[in-house]
Amino acid sequence: MSERHRLRSLGTFVLLNGLIPIRTQPLYLVNLLASPLSFMFFLTVVSHGVLLRWGITGGLILTMLSAGTGLQSDLTHYRHDLKFQDIVVASPVEAPVYVLGMALSELVYSLPGLAVFVVLFVADGLASPLSLAVLTGVLLLVWGFATALAFTLATYFQDVRETFMFSPLISLVLTVLPPVYYPLAYLPGWAQVVARFSPTTYAAALVQGAVHLAPLSTASAALDWGVLGAVTAALFLVAAFKARWKEP
Amino acid sequence: MEPAIVARDVTKVYPGSRSGAPALDGLSLEVPAGGVYGLIGRNGAGKTTFIRIAATQLEATSGSLTVLGHSVRGEERAIRSRIACVPQESRPLYFLRTEEVVYLYLKMRGLPTDEARRRTNAALEELSLVEYRKRLVNRLSGGLRRRTLCAMVLASDADVMFLDEPTTGLDPIARREVWQAVRRASREQRTILLTTHYLDEAEALSGRLALVERGKRVLEGTAVELRGRVRYPYRVTIWGAVPREELDSYGKVSPIEGGFLVFASEEHARELARWALERNLRLSLGPVSLEDIFLEVVGRPIEEETPLADDTNGAEAEA
Repeated sequence: MSERHRLRSLGTFVLLNGLIPIRTQPLYLVNLLASPLSFMFFLTVVSHGVLLRWGITGGLILTMLSAGTGLQSDLTHYRHDLKFQDIVVASPVEAPVYVLGMALSELVYSLPGLAVFVVLFVADGLASPLSLAVLTGVLLLVWGFATALAFTLATYFQDVRETFMFSPLISLVLTVLPPVYYPLAYLPGWAQVVARFSPTTYAAALVQGAVHLAPLSTASAALDWGVLGAVTAALFLVAAFKARWKEP
Repeated sequence: MEPAIVARDVTKVYPGSRSGAPALDGLSLEVPAGGVYGLIGRNGAGKTTFIRIAATQLEATSGSLTVLGHSVRGEERAIRSRIACVPQESRPLYFLRTEEVVYLYLKMRGLPTDEARRRTNAALEELSLVEYRKRLVNRLSGGLRRRTLCAMVLASDADVMFLDEPTTGLDPIARREVWQAVRRASREQRTILLTTHYLDEAEALSGRLALVERGKRVLEGTAVELRGRVRYPYRVTIWGAVPREELDSYGKVSPIEGGFLVFASEEHARELARWALERNLRLSLGPVSLEDIFLEVVGRPIEEETPLADDTNGAEAEA
């Protein structure tokens, strides 16, 4: 497949799974907005406004994470119920093009959420060239590792119902337990250690540091980028070698 | 010309299969390039497993299989650029319109917009889907959805097309429209590997046929060759009160409503026809049908399911 063909395929997947479904069900657009906004609302009310900024940065991370992990139910449904993956496998489309195309299509659903949180981010004075650059990099890495994880899992699930079980677990491990919506210091010592096993802890620390919500030394920032990059690379490798594009 | 598909001793045991019973048991086949090749067999015989291995969707446990000269093990990319497949039980994405199913599939394969549109229009026309082109596929009947998938794959003009029970659920007219499109593709030197439950369809479309039973190839050839390989290639139906004992010497006799059906060799069929005419009995004589051959070779009708060795893997159960 030439580069031109690959681009056509990518565009087709965005249209097929992103833009066209919205035509039949516009509510898809607010679907990914609901959870991050709820978290932010809840934290802001309970903390009398103190955690609003944490809610905004957390909301941005959760929105991108959901855009990635949301892929698992779509891919599982298409693979099992419609045999769509089999149709794609028996075609010139390569697995990375399929995954990237479908991942970009999921991003379409997260655009309203991103727009809302970016507006809040700017309106609350959190935006600066540095914070925007850090935010962009972090969100891309979060989206990347979530997509790789979702694709790998989707090729193992035997039924779409399994994704209903895994989604809340992933959400718990990657967004609720780690300090995405609140300072790491709020957690007891042992929980801070446990939180270090979640890549979103590092993502949140980078964004929170860039907007001066939490202190972040250069060494810590380097470590956070390193861990986040390594986790993303590792999950891409797992997707490349362990995902079942062709069934065993 | 080099065969389009060459399978040698292909075996497939699904991972997690408790009994270890193979879904394919040393299957060997050669599918000539250009034309339709029919794979027939009961549910669970291994047809879908074979198609999925050839279409690079499933790993074989052992054996070798090449498609257009490339091995399914290690050279998948070269194969995939030249194939297309309608999997068994596949359904189009329900939020698409009929024309979008075909058009976006072609775009997904990398075709430029104008070409994709031209082929979409031609495929919709050929399979009489024009009046449904703007309709969402979830508002189409099951048969129309299946027809849409056939249109999608036939529009691809891939060198090898895998059609796994493409006409299941279609009414007789729609089936014939699919046949017409399949014939058109085969005339254009495309190779089509077809599985079907409809033996009339297999015979009407396929240049060559393979009969698969419990993962093995039990018979292979053109319909004429298959008839030549069975013990009784002719069927003679005789109506009237005839003592059965008088017919037994001509071949295999089965009673039917108002008479007898006799499966016989060419010589015996001729003798029997003469015998019946001398007695002014009504008769019909002709070559055995594919269904008769299937029944003789397998010993069971095609509608009867193959008992599965175990049910640990749904993929073994071919619906």
